[in-house]
Amino acid sequence: MSTLEIDHVSKSYGTLRALDDLTFDVRAGEIFGFVGSNGAGKTTAMRIMLGVLAADSGSVRWNGTELDLEARRSVGYMPEERGLYPKMKVGEQLEFLAGLHGMSPTQARDAVVRWTDRLGVGGRRGDHVEKLSLGNQQRVQLAAALVHNPAVLVLDEPFSGLDPVAVDVMSAVLRERAAAGVPVIFSSHQLDLVERLCDRVGIVRSGQMVALGTIDELRTTDRPQWLLDVGAEPSGVLARLAEVPGVTARVAPGRPHAVLATAAPGTPPEVGQQVLRESLAVGPVHEFTPVRPCLADLFRGVVSAEHDAEPTAVAPAFAEVAR
Amino acid sequence: MSSNVVWMVARREIKTRMLTKSTIISMAVMLVVIVAGIFVLDYFATRDAHAPASKVGVAQSVSALEEHLEVAAAQQGLDLELVALADDADAEEALTAEGDDALEAVLSGDPASPEMLVAEQPDDAIQQAVSTAVRSYVVNEQVTGLGGNPAAFEEALASAVPQVRSIEPEDSPDRFGPAYVVSMVMISLLLFALIGSGSIIAMGVVEEKTSRVVEILLATIKPTQLLAGKILGIGIFGMFQVVLLGGAAVGGVAATGLTRSLEVDLGASLALLVLWFLIGYAIFALLFGGFAALVSRQEEIGSVTTPLMFLLFVPYYLTMFMVPSDPDSTMVRVLSQIPVFAPFMMPVRNAFGALSGWELGLSLAISLATIPLLVWIAARVYQRGVLHTGGRMKLGDALKAGRS
Repeated sequence: MSTLEIDHVSKSYGTLRALDDLTFDVRAGEIFGFVGSNGAGKTTAMRIMLGVLAADSGSVRWNGTELDLEARRSVGYMPEERGLYPKMKVGEQLEFLAGLHGMSPTQARDAVVRWTDRLGVGGRRGDHVEKLSLGNQQRVQLAAALVHNPAVLVLDEPFSGLDPVAVDVMSAVLRERAAAGVPVIFSSHQLDLVERLCDRVGIVRSGQMVALGTIDELRTTDRPQWLLDVGAEPSGVLARLAEVPGVTARVAPGRPHAVLATAAPGTPPEVGQQVLRESLAVGPVHEFTPVRPCLADLFRGVVSAEHDAEPTAVAPAFAEVAR
Repeated sequence: MSSNVVWMVARREIKTRMLTKSTIISMAVMLVVIVAGIFVLDYFATRDAHAPASKVGVAQSVSALEEHLEVAAAQQGLDLELVALADDADAEEALTAEGDDALEAVLSGDPASPEMLVAEQPDDAIQQAVSTAVRSYVVNEQVTGLGGNPAAFEEALASAVPQVRSIEPEDSPDRFGPAYVVSMVMISLLLFALIGSGSIIAMGVVEEKTSRVVEILLATIKPTQLLAGKILGIGIFGMFQVVLLGGAAVGGVAATGLTRSLEVDLGASLALLVLWFLIGYAIFALLFGGFAALVSRQEEIGSVTTPLMFLLFVPYYLTMFMVPSDPDSTMVRVLSQIPVFAPFMMPVRNAFGALSGWELGLSLAISLATIPLLVWIAARVYQRGVLHTGGRMKLGDALKAGRS
């Protein structure tokens, strides 16, 4: 299978350790979201995957063999710092790039027409890139990453600067490529998009992978929480829940009439039902919601745990209760 | 496959440079200037050659001087036309006449001491010719009076000159003759061609850095392939310009016949110029391309191209001042073996005929051997510098081992 493996990659800039033994893989047909705060090492990792930078140690493999120059020709890459020849026509430029990736001139011409039409810049093929608006330049940049029908997609912030229509087109393109068996990795700060699109997510901090898994896996915590809205005084609910072993409760932040109950690690999952029963004994329960951290919460937890000894510990979440 | 990629990069360079409106316009303007310049030059050159002869009126009383005047004028290289006048002709009117009919001087009176009437100031050349003619006439008269043979006397007098013999070989050409002109034009062309193409390469490298397009290019091809394609493409474009403009110049010269007085083998000189352009281009293109990668903005280009400009101007001026004065001195012979000097010195030494075959061969070999070394240095500096953004990168950092 065509899996992209990043294997124990380290990279330092002088004394700054940009990547520290980074290891993960992107499987065929999978959309992988690469998340982390600014300066966490996402761009460095992607540049190393593309051979634009050399790693100090470790390797990047595709299909089990080193991702060398020849293999990289079949990778679609969108760098963080966008770049096209400003004084070259959109069509000619894309044909040139497709040619560098090994397409014949006729194949290249067809692909350029197809992708510029699909990305909504078909009418600008004859214009110089510098004449286009930034958003349209961004679309051309995407076309440059997609035009040679890549077997692997590595996209650094592909959604930044796109309008909602272009975001939809781009999302559809990524799903379609993944469905065709292509490993897709992209970085983004738009976590709602990542949550919606990605099969798996990796959160990177200080050059290390601190959380890795499917969205569901990541949202599962060892300290389950429930939000309760009971038709009674919260103090009564709190007193009643204090009786349940392994459960602590307090008034939910931002909702003075609601209560947030948290189970200690190791408590059996049935404790949730017990919490519900105890609450019903106090008054009518209008709302009973298991609170699971969303990606943004996970992300904040990871980032705020900057000096934690245990990097995978995800701080309990309570801010977003809407779900 | 890799040569294919290099060619694709080269083709893009040629296409984007050749097909821009500004390039086409400036090429057309230069073509017109060159061709027009040659025709203007030819007009002035031929006008001088066909300057009307100086006319001198000779009155009947001094007609005995005519023969001597003709000999004297021929000796001086003076184009003198003698106009016979009657003794009673109006000399003043003839001197002040309008246009080509005006006489420069009118001779009359005693042939041994004629009166020379001029409008204002006497023309030096005519006065000298007249003096010589009169002296010759008087000597003839005296020799005849003494019973001698004037012809034999003149012959003896003509051969009474010192026989000058120079220790220098006789075929050493004139310092500022056609060889000098042709070789100076050649190295000036070489200088401008190298500066022009070097600057284009430096700007192209920095343009790719500023626009950041270099990152997607380098995700697909090697830095060396990118640099090689750029140098090849701009080199072809430069050669096209040289051939087009040089060809227009040669064609114009041939059409006007301006070269009839030049005793220089233009064809061989041009072939040598092209050879040294190629070698010089390879050397300097690598330096310009590699070093330009050290900076990130167009405004900073000067800091890397200025030292390279010096590397072009110093050999150019040294060649101009040292070689014509002594094309065979030890200093010149040594310098002309050094790669940056060779492209300038060798064509000039050749034009002065002071070049032995083995010297040309040796300098070619040295230059060609230097190119792989420069390729290595340029590729190293380029690879390290091309993805470096922000300030100017130090050359030392770029040369250190490993890629950043």
